[in-house]
Amino acid sequence: MAAAGPLRPFLARAVPLLLLGAVAAFPLVFTKPFPRHLMIMIFLYGALATAWNILAGYCGQISLGHAVFFGIGAYTSTLLIREAALSPWLGMLAGAAIAVVGSQLIGYPVFRLRGHYFAIATIAVGEIIQALVINWDWAGGARGLFVPIKRPDSFVNFQFHESKAVYYFIALGLLLLALGVTRWIEGSRRGYFFRAIREDQEAAASLGVHVAREKHWAIAVSAALTALGGTFYAQYVFFIDPESVFPLSLSILICLVAVLGGVGTLWGPLVGAAVLVPLSEGTRVWLGGGGKALDLLIYGALIVLIAVFQPGGLVGLAGRFRRT
Amino acid sequence: MIRLIAALFVLPVALATTLAAPLPASAQSQEIVIGLAYPMSGPNAQAGIDDKPVFEIAAEIANGTLDLPFPFYQRLKGMPGLKGAKVRLIISDHQTKPELGQAEAERLITQEKVHALVCCWASSVTATASQVAERYGIPFVNAESSSPGLTARGFKWLFRTSPHDEHFTQVMFDFFRDFQKRRGVKIRTLGLTYEDTLFGSDSARVQRELARKYGYEVVVDLAYRQRTTSLQAEVQRLKAANPDVWMPTSYQQDAMLFVRTTRDLDYNPRMIMAQDSGHISSDFVKEVGREAEGTMTRSPFADDLLDKRPIAKAVNDLYAKRAGKNIYDLPARAFTGIMTLLDAINRAGTTDPEAIRKALVATNIPGDQLIMTWDHIRFDATGQNIGVRAIIQQLQGGKYYTVYPFEIATRDVIYPIPAWKDRK
Amino acid sequence: MEIVNFAHGEFLMLAMYVAFFAWLLARLDPVVSFPLAALVLAGLGWATYHGIIRWVLGGPMLAQIFATFGLAVFLRSAAQFLWGVDFRVVSAPLLGGRASLGGVFVGLPQLTASVAALGAFVALHLFLARSETGLALQATAQDRQAAALMGIDTERMFALGWAIGAGCVGVAGALLTMFFYVFPDVGAAFALLAYVTVALGGFGNVPATLLAGVIVGLVEALAGLLIAPALKYAVVFLLYLGVVLWRPQGLFGRF
Repeated sequence: MAAAGPLRPFLARAVPLLLLGAVAAFPLVFTKPFPRHLMIMIFLYGALATAWNILAGYCGQISLGHAVFFGIGAYTSTLLIREAALSPWLGMLAGAAIAVVGSQLIGYPVFRLRGHYFAIATIAVGEIIQALVINWDWAGGARGLFVPIKRPDSFVNFQFHESKAVYYFIALGLLLLALGVTRWIEGSRRGYFFRAIREDQEAAASLGVHVAREKHWAIAVSAALTALGGTFYAQYVFFIDPESVFPLSLSILICLVAVLGGVGTLWGPLVGAAVLVPLSEGTRVWLGGGGKALDLLIYGALIVLIAVFQPGGLVGLAGRFRRT
Repeated sequence: MIRLIAALFVLPVALATTLAAPLPASAQSQEIVIGLAYPMSGPNAQAGIDDKPVFEIAAEIANGTLDLPFPFYQRLKGMPGLKGAKVRLIISDHQTKPELGQAEAERLITQEKVHALVCCWASSVTATASQVAERYGIPFVNAESSSPGLTARGFKWLFRTSPHDEHFTQVMFDFFRDFQKRRGVKIRTLGLTYEDTLFGSDSARVQRELARKYGYEVVVDLAYRQRTTSLQAEVQRLKAANPDVWMPTSYQQDAMLFVRTTRDLDYNPRMIMAQDSGHISSDFVKEVGREAEGTMTRSPFADDLLDKRPIAKAVNDLYAKRAGKNIYDLPARAFTGIMTLLDAINRAGTTDPEAIRKALVATNIPGDQLIMTWDHIRFDATGQNIGVRAIIQQLQGGKYYTVYPFEIATRDVIYPIPAWKDRK
Repeated sequence: MEIVNFAHGEFLMLAMYVAFFAWLLARLDPVVSFPLAALVLAGLGWATYHGIIRWVLGGPMLAQIFATFGLAVFLRSAAQFLWGVDFRVVSAPLLGGRASLGGVFVGLPQLTASVAALGAFVALHLFLARSETGLALQATAQDRQAAALMGIDTERMFALGWAIGAGCVGVAGALLTMFFYVFPDVGAAFALLAYVTVALGGFGNVPATLLAGVIVGLVEALAGLLIAPALKYAVVFLLYLGVVLWRPQGLFGRF
């Protein structure tokens, strides 16, 4: 049952606006912290997966080391607050800048690799950096770092203890930024280059696409957006340690969110986050207290089922809807 | 596509709505709701699972369905201060992840309306969850985390009944001093090995400081990757340096692997002084206890004194019936923590957070009412219990016996530890 | 086969539980029970292929990562659900103590495990290089369509590949219980190293994997001794980066 011809473009415009309105009104309706927290996590993971999607989904370079950029963002802003009393907003930009530089250094060796060799190389980079931070005493080492609590709430300090609403809108902003950048790349010349590389690197090169340069562009954008998320996390949780911002499990989670929704699509990563985050929080809240790991049991089984029945990601479902 | 996104938006909203829905309020009597965020799944799930029975025991004592014939517990029977209000526990899972600890503390406080939190076992999770309690002004009792920094943050709502690493490590050095005097042996060099997360690096930091203070030489100082696949290199370094005392700080996986590796590589330390945790876990004792003969550890809990101390024995009888094993350090500390909180709530006579906090500040529980061998429970201005006392235990014949302080010891120290080749 | 199994570590964990229960219930030492573990795991590998992998084979590489990762979470929590989180150890294995190899002490269980692993390697290599089925398997791995055209039942070959792979994990897991503890989360650390080792040697090359395994082991031990144990895995990963920088397909990789 597709909408009638003239109605379609109208719907295409109206529905996103309505959705955006609903999202903006959400914190007015739900004043309790937990639903807001849930949405913040969806936005954060949605933004991270969207950033990852630029490199992996469009450019075809499947990174399993994105936690590195997340950690760089978190550590840069936190260290700058502690050592230089710099506002986290500036720290956020600094974190993104360092992540970009880091991504170029990482990109140089790993972009020569293909497929699994590339994926493993990104894992290797992630593990090396995590090990270094754990043994880096000045940056707190394994003990991690506290973000100094400053009260009262202030925008400059990026700390909001009274209400989660501000965090909600900052996270939403991050997500919209990531989506906007993706949308812009999608339609630009660069986006076509990216997809050409993904489909066939040799063919792209023979057509005059500067493959190495385009890959470096992709990872730079992706790393910067991921680092923004890292700073947000640090200012949201107020405590970071290498186990929570640099782990391989985070890199894999980012990838999972995107894959679940559908890689190489604008909305896929967000859809993935909107499903996976409530799924994991919900199963944990309802079933996690028993000590029988029932929550993870169900979570794992669902992931397998989705992979088997909808390997192209959930956005593939849209196609099915349309056909019926 | 758009319809799909719209449809998917409904999912989190629906979940948020159900989670936000108020719980069925109990109409008949007032309730005391206590939130417990513990690792119930993931690599440290055992800690939460082993603690669960003691929380249930504590709740039953308070609800008057369980009788513990000692004055302190009799006073709490049925929570007379709140005219028989019932205690309800909400146990939740944080998977030992700091951000989940934060989210759970917030959810417990705002959705489940808990009146107090007992949380979180792991120091890194306690670090974030206690910030939430501080922000909302909800009493937060920590019974197990040993990172000294937690109570150095000037928090008003955090109370820690457990000793921390400085207490724990101090007793090791007291023991070295007294033991040298008593046996006329010389201890000069120490070898530190520690896992590389918060627990290990904090422990090693204190050990290093105290070694400098008391004039011992640290000849091995090794951090190793937690949950490693092999400890061969670490043991070889120890073997080469051969310190007078080997001081490991490990969670249980690594502690078990260390035992096997020292045997396989024929490393024969003369004295092993472990930092609790892995070396005292029930699985460690059960599975490799005989091979780890002579291992000493600091411990806040003297399980071999169970029979000598009626109160500890009574609690252990209850615990063993539910858990199928004897109570040990961690559940014992958890029990002490939650009972301290229940006592404060009872004295407060209300579930008002500020009143509970004031009652916690005024806590004074005598040592003879505790299952721990502590002097008493009283909190200093930072919220740290100052009545703690750690003891040293040694594995002898597959079981831990208290060997220090010498006046409460049940066995003599075995020294040096017999070499692998001299064992059967 | 161009599929990376993220549940590899969990297969290892299950193999260790098989060996552990064989020891607990029937007093079968891992030295004796490893064929049993291999069989059980081969069955599991075969079932995994038919139940899951077959359906995602045609999909992108990411769907495969996704499916096997979900399987990993599932198996790990299933183990916790069924057997709890206790750490178990096969106490007093048949082989204990040390052997001296030219003045270097090696634990006897480790030595046995190494010999058995070597045996498995040789057997696998001979099977792949000499037997007709092994060659068919390799052909399928290299080019599925071509292999199918040549009349090879690629479906069966894939299932066989999974069964053999999992069976080898069964051998490794059972032998590992001689000197390593068992618990639901045990697999993760090993799986990552295995992944790096295989890539270091190059995918699709059994002798190269063996060589890479030896190199990784040596580097890990030397880094632990000479640099710092906390950084030993970092050094292994650095080695991998160094090697692929020089040879993007691993040491002897074919694809």
